[in-house]
Amino acid sequence: MTESITQIQEPVGKRFNWEIFLQDNITGSWFQAIWVLLLTIFTISYAISQFDNLPLSTGIILGGWVIGIFMVVRGELSLKHSRLSRWLKNNLISSISNTILTLLIILVIAFSINSIWQWAVVNANFNPLETTPEFRTEEGATWGVIFGARKLLMTGLMAPEDSWRVWIALGFILVMWVLTLVSGRPKLKEKLKALRTVVNTVWLLSPAILYLFLAGAPNNPYNIKLMLIAEVGILAIYLLLWWQKVVQFYWRSFIITALGWPLLYTIWSTIGTSEFFPPINVDTWGGLLLTMIIASAVIVLSLPLGMVLALGRRSEVYGIPDWIVWPVAVGAMIWGFTTTPVLLETSRNLIERLLAFWPLLIFGVAYILQRAFKGNVVAGASTTFIEFIRSVPLITLLFMGIVMAPFFLAPGVYTPKPWPVIIGYTLFASAYSAEIIRGGLQAIPHGQFEAADSLGFNGLQKMRFIVLPQALRIVIPPIVGQFIGAFKSSSLVSIVGLFDFVGISKVVIANNEWLGLRTELYVFMAVVYFLGSFLMSSYSRRLEVRLGLGER
Amino acid sequence: MATMEGPSQSFVDEIIVCENVHKWFGEFEALRGLDLRVKPGEVIVIIGPSGSGKSTFIRCLNRLEEHQDGRIIIDGIELSHDLRNIQVVRREVGMVFQQFNLFPHLTVLDNITLAPINVRKWSRDHAEELAMTWLHRVGIPEQAAKFPGQLSGGQQQRVAIARTLTMQPKILLFDEPTSALDPEMISEVLDVMRDLARSGYTILAVTHEMGFAREVANRVIFMDAGKIVEENTPDDFFNNPKEERTKLFLSQILQH
Repeated sequence: MTESITQIQEPVGKRFNWEIFLQDNITGSWFQAIWVLLLTIFTISYAISQFDNLPLSTGIILGGWVIGIFMVVRGELSLKHSRLSRWLKNNLISSISNTILTLLIILVIAFSINSIWQWAVVNANFNPLETTPEFRTEEGATWGVIFGARKLLMTGLMAPEDSWRVWIALGFILVMWVLTLVSGRPKLKEKLKALRTVVNTVWLLSPAILYLFLAGAPNNPYNIKLMLIAEVGILAIYLLLWWQKVVQFYWRSFIITALGWPLLYTIWSTIGTSEFFPPINVDTWGGLLLTMIIASAVIVLSLPLGMVLALGRRSEVYGIPDWIVWPVAVGAMIWGFTTTPVLLETSRNLIERLLAFWPLLIFGVAYILQRAFKGNVVAGASTTFIEFIRSVPLITLLFMGIVMAPFFLAPGVYTPKPWPVIIGYTLFASAYSAEIIRGGLQAIPHGQFEAADSLGFNGLQKMRFIVLPQALRIVIPPIVGQFIGAFKSSSLVSIVGLFDFVGISKVVIANNEWLGLRTELYVFMAVVYFLGSFLMSSYSRRLEVRLGLGER
Repeated sequence: MATMEGPSQSFVDEIIVCENVHKWFGEFEALRGLDLRVKPGEVIVIIGPSGSGKSTFIRCLNRLEEHQDGRIIIDGIELSHDLRNIQVVRREVGMVFQQFNLFPHLTVLDNITLAPINVRKWSRDHAEELAMTWLHRVGIPEQAAKFPGQLSGGQQQRVAIARTLTMQPKILLFDEPTSALDPEMISEVLDVMRDLARSGYTILAVTHEMGFAREVANRVIFMDAGKIVEENTPDDFFNNPKEERTKLFLSQILQH
């Protein structure tokens, strides 16, 4: 005991102590010694093999490493460190095993960068006309395929004469983005208020505008009935929101709401009749275009849907009382069992006979509703939906979307594949978003709800002004992770026969000209996916900082 | 529009009427038949040992907790399952919490004006003017643009008081407003509360500040085990309490 205390009290670092040095680095424990030994053997053999390959650069790295060690050792023995040697000591050469690891990692990095450089640049062939096997080499990439197959990679099987519409759509998004960034700058914020209103309105309309460019407007006759039904629905929602005091009644906003839809519908059908943007077969969408369409549709739609599901799962509305649920359930069961004799008569085997007892399921549902959810149908339905979707693989949902879409439609109506895929994928993503958002909601202290209640906010106002702004800020990191996942996993749609960015590569490498040029394509895809994901994650970090004001 | 100096006028004789109020948390009976009548402008301090139901009681008055039996009538409106009644009542009953419960994502000014603009439907200009007046009165107008996280506890509680008062409530409920504060910040909040008590607000305060009770209360109510044990003027309550339980409690808290 006294010995160890005196050891600690000795001024550390005054003189180099070999005993402590060896104990810290090798003899301290048996696995440390073995680790250093194995590491040394591995590094030496790796260095020797690389020395045969590239003697010059290996020699330079080894030389630099030895000089570094020399500097640190000299500084250590003379108790005088220069800035460089102190940095080396703190970061790279702090112990024996770290010193060896430093060498190993520098060698690995140097040689992988070198071989990638050799393959991708030095020995590569960039000529788009020289992609056939006779021009290829083992040592170099044939980048011509990217340029040669650019049409397929970007828009898939879409007719080339429609490409200009994709360009316009792209230009539209870029212009909108620039305008948003410019009008959102703190210095210009006050001056460009009007511009910001316009930009926000156009963003709200952008799905319709993009749809017009990318899918086109059909030349249908003006459907007055459809127009009026939708108008009534819109007005009903507006009145409901006004009644619930979510929106304040202003004549201006009311007139915009009331006239907006008829106006838009008229514009839409005029464009359709003019045949300026004739419909495009959306089944031909492909490549990066399809990936972007699916990813952005899923991201934009799944967030609000997830919010609704999360709020639904946490809702505490008064449940349906027992005296309503049970009579209804029993009545439905009795009604169901009246069909049982028919089913039993026509049954051919045990399973069909058991199916005759399906009305018992009504009892089960009623029991679960009353026991687990206390009669709260909203919470019950949201929870069931979330748990069901989360326990089914995405691929199954995509197949279900495509296979089962015809069941929901009139016979003979054909749905282009992208729509059921987008719907199925949105449901999938929204279940996950809902759970993330629910986590955010649970992180809001109870006092916030109480303060909002005590000030007289109603339920929707409380969510809109107090709970959701805080909850959504908390969930930015995981929800952006979820968005990035949705963006990347959209490549799964190639399994159900859509040629998205990844799926189209099969078409490209099946082409005689580019037969088997997998590596080049996959490297290119990795770069594109990286750019997309990195953009999202860096934007989310900026958003976090901006919304994090005052948050401690 | 109500005057700035005092609360808006009430047209009933008894602004709070509680009759035989009962409240259960599962099996546990938190309130066992409370009766209380409060006239407009009265200042009532509720004291009692922890777990005696005093917080639960005043939280029932704006229905943050739901009473299961008996009647609570606030300014002529009975609290029932009708959501509209509850919202009307909550507009007229302001509450200040132990933990301040400011909205951390909004500036001080936005914290104060959010409810007046969206619940009272006042214009932003009017709400901000009133908010600044109240910030002046609680002594921190210079903090209007800051976020709650940048303020001290005492300042936060004063913002919370300003937030409550900008709604122009008729009744103020204080739920242990100084219990979460450092000792040197208690007095700044008590000063504001004293000021309010003297300007004619109807106040129900749960607090352990006996000095405050002595000075400004019209009545002191002592609660224990979900019941009102003793109800008295502050002088009589502290100098010659009637009940044994009160004497015991007072001797315990006055020992140190």
